[in-house]
Amino acid sequence: MKRNLSVLLSLVVLASILLAACGGNATQAPAAATDAPAVEPPAATEPPAAAEPKSATGAWSQEPDNVVPYFTQMSYAIWIAQLTLVGLGEWDDQGVFVTELGAEVPSADNGGVSADGLTITWKLKEGLKWSDGEPLTSADVKFTWEAVMDPANAPLSRVGYDKIASIDTPDDTTVVITFSELFPPWQTLFTQGPNNSGSILPKHILEGKTALESDPFIHQPTVASGPFVITDWVAGDHMTLARNDNFYGSRPILDSVNIKFVPTPETALAALQTGDVDWYPDFSESDIETVGALEPDIHLKVVPGADFEHYFFNLGTTEGVDGKGKSDKAGFCPFKDVNVRKAITLGINRQAFVDSLLAGKTTVPATQWPNSSWSNSSLTPDAYNPDEAAALLEAAGYTLGDDGIRHGDCDGVDTKLSFAFDTTDKQLRVDIALATQSDLAKIGVEFKPNHSPAGTFFATYPDGGLLGHGEFDMGGYTTGFYPDPMSGVMDSFSCDTIPNAENGGSGGNSYHLCDPELDSLLAAVNATADPAARKAAIDAVQKHIFDQYYVVMMYARANVYGYVDRFVPGAFGFFSNMNWNAELWDVK
Amino acid sequence: MWAYIARRSIQALFTLLIITVLCFILTRLSADPLAQYATNPNMSAADKAALRERLGLNQPMPVQYLKWLGLALQGDLGNSFFSKQPVAEMISQRLPNTLKLMFTYEIITIIISLFLGILSAVRQYSMLDNVITTFSFIGFSMPIFFIALGAMLIFAVKFKEWGFPYLPTGADIWDPKDPIEYIKHMILPVSCLVIIGTAGYARFIRTSVLEVLGQDYVRTARAKGLSNRVVLYKHALRNAALPLVTIIGLDIPGLLGGALVTESVYAWPGMGRLFWEYAQRGDFPVVLGILLITSSAVVVFTIITDVVYTFVDPRIRLT
Repeated sequence: MKRNLSVLLSLVVLASILLAACGGNATQAPAAATDAPAVEPPAATEPPAAAEPKSATGAWSQEPDNVVPYFTQMSYAIWIAQLTLVGLGEWDDQGVFVTELGAEVPSADNGGVSADGLTITWKLKEGLKWSDGEPLTSADVKFTWEAVMDPANAPLSRVGYDKIASIDTPDDTTVVITFSELFPPWQTLFTQGPNNSGSILPKHILEGKTALESDPFIHQPTVASGPFVITDWVAGDHMTLARNDNFYGSRPILDSVNIKFVPTPETALAALQTGDVDWYPDFSESDIETVGALEPDIHLKVVPGADFEHYFFNLGTTEGVDGKGKSDKAGFCPFKDVNVRKAITLGINRQAFVDSLLAGKTTVPATQWPNSSWSNSSLTPDAYNPDEAAALLEAAGYTLGDDGIRHGDCDGVDTKLSFAFDTTDKQLRVDIALATQSDLAKIGVEFKPNHSPAGTFFATYPDGGLLGHGEFDMGGYTTGFYPDPMSGVMDSFSCDTIPNAENGGSGGNSYHLCDPELDSLLAAVNATADPAARKAAIDAVQKHIFDQYYVVMMYARANVYGYVDRFVPGAFGFFSNMNWNAELWDVK
Repeated sequence: MWAYIARRSIQALFTLLIITVLCFILTRLSADPLAQYATNPNMSAADKAALRERLGLNQPMPVQYLKWLGLALQGDLGNSFFSKQPVAEMISQRLPNTLKLMFTYEIITIIISLFLGILSAVRQYSMLDNVITTFSFIGFSMPIFFIALGAMLIFAVKFKEWGFPYLPTGADIWDPKDPIEYIKHMILPVSCLVIIGTAGYARFIRTSVLEVLGQDYVRTARAKGLSNRVVLYKHALRNAALPLVTIIGLDIPGLLGGALVTESVYAWPGMGRLFWEYAQRGDFPVVLGILLITSSAVVVFTIITDVVYTFVDPRIRLT
């Protein structure tokens, strides 16, 4: 028996030795995944020789659907487009609109924006070329518009492009865009943004083709206009990019970039620690402390963004307002009272969540345009004040019952302040909902969270989605209105966009809010192309929503990055992620 | 036998049909393919309606299913709603990776399990048996994500930190010029699967061998003076192998589906990850395509297992 045990132990030891012998070397970086040119990463602990090719490897949690985001809304598709197929302009690290292929941003001062705002003239940089050496001209811009509008193609959206009456190209570097009606967010067309990606498409490659959404080019593009060109894409595993020597800007520093698709943040963190990857842009706010603890080997970068997590009330009514904005189902009656909405806002200790669950790295915003130049800086978020919250509820007629829950008269019916809250099953949301439940219980409000998978929670009206049908009391999710301040705003707040049976569930007004005064304020924002006038109008919108307590702004979302010391990123973008200036990426 | 195979094949077609119906219903009810566009600020209501129509989601569910089935019967699994690529092409990109991972795991698992299972049975209630049994239960009880992440932490992160040779954290596709690198990337995921797999198999083999060793014909063989080795290898193992054939036969088609957790933790670009990523988005052409292939494999391998019985055990006749 002892002999057998010895044999077994010997086998275990031998296996361990073999395992270690087959393992990597502590001073040797993992080999490149493919035979793509010049992608061998330098040693993890030794700086590369000056003449050696420079390469960096990033990890993304998801793989892009394709590289032309007219046909997908994945962030990862927009990211890869930022690296390979760029537009006329983009947003920099401060959220300022700057040029890419354009020579200068059109404005009234330089004659790029006509007096009536209907004509935008873009001048392209001189001598632009695709990566294959073909000239990149105004004809490519016009072709892009034609491709988007061609019924034979199926882009996800034609918003804005359908407002263009014509595009003229008097010469190779001039693009004259004439709108059929005023379209103030013109900067979102043909440009690279977080919610839009207007890559310019290569006419010399795609002309004459239809059904571009399934064309091989959108998965394996053969040319690029960005700093890098895709040389290899192995489904589910990685993508390899090589420097585009015809890039319009400064010569990209890296010779090649590898993007590995790593679905779990735990693996990405381990890969950062072993040097298998150089950066990971997909950490969540709940990972901040974990990643931050790994300094100085791994650097944490938290960039407050324009997205926000918010809770909202179902304000639906079955009768609507002046015949508009009807919902299939009325919301929870007490929410019609602004004092109840305010009390719930004051009764949630949002700053405590930010400090504890989000490591204090983000903020409680006052409005739906956090951290943005469009934000109404005169507004400040209400502080946690359970005493005032309780007093407001008391004044509104809701008194404490024997069970500790308030009740009172609402439209002639004795109603308990007990309601459901629906959101997705993301762990951070579960944690915050539990803390909210505890906070609201202190002021006599029963808050009952329901968590479901995102595919169910966001289900559309025809699929029986609870948001569209108004089958909820209170809800919560993340959204954001950018880069143009009106991106998605009309669809979210307008009376005309409340989904109901009459309109077939059309519209994205999940709040079921119909407020004619707000409608007028929103219309004013889009009634002018003058940036100053728009800022004043959007300020008024924010003030109105703030005063009415239509939504509870929980916290501004942050983009959380981790990167190893050898990797030198460029400035992290506010709107545009870290990929907007990839030509500046370097390795030590 | 041929009549038996023909009859089972016809039954299999109906089974597959029922499987696809159930899978379609479950997939469609679990996630709305358009849910991810709900908060897209750049898509108008008209855009969303047009997309719904383009994907055929505006039609009644039975029509959606029948259209998919009609194409599938012609060998066309359709296109993904999101990547727009043909599903067959997406599967063909991932299947080889899964087969490499899973067959390596299966072969190693069977070899180790046979060794440990037989050893455990022959030395029943010995210290060695107790050790193997204890480790089997530990392996069987531990969730795979725990083993996978723990192994990565120790053999990749900590080994590097301690200055030891360390293993890579993620997958690496096959590069003919550097097979050693590929094998290094396989060590951790395969080891994790083997730990779980061996725990179950070894216990099963132990039980099976013990049962056979207690049979009259084994006692008779021993009474005739045959050595333990001859009794074990010539008489006992062949009979003990019959239930093992069943288990392996049913496990092999399951291998095509990949190992979701292991593939996710080690970023292995296999079928399990493909299924999960697209199931979450409600992309039913991809989900049904994968399920059709794995279900077909289960059905085919079940028939093959039945046929193999006749070779392993001459007492069995298929009629």
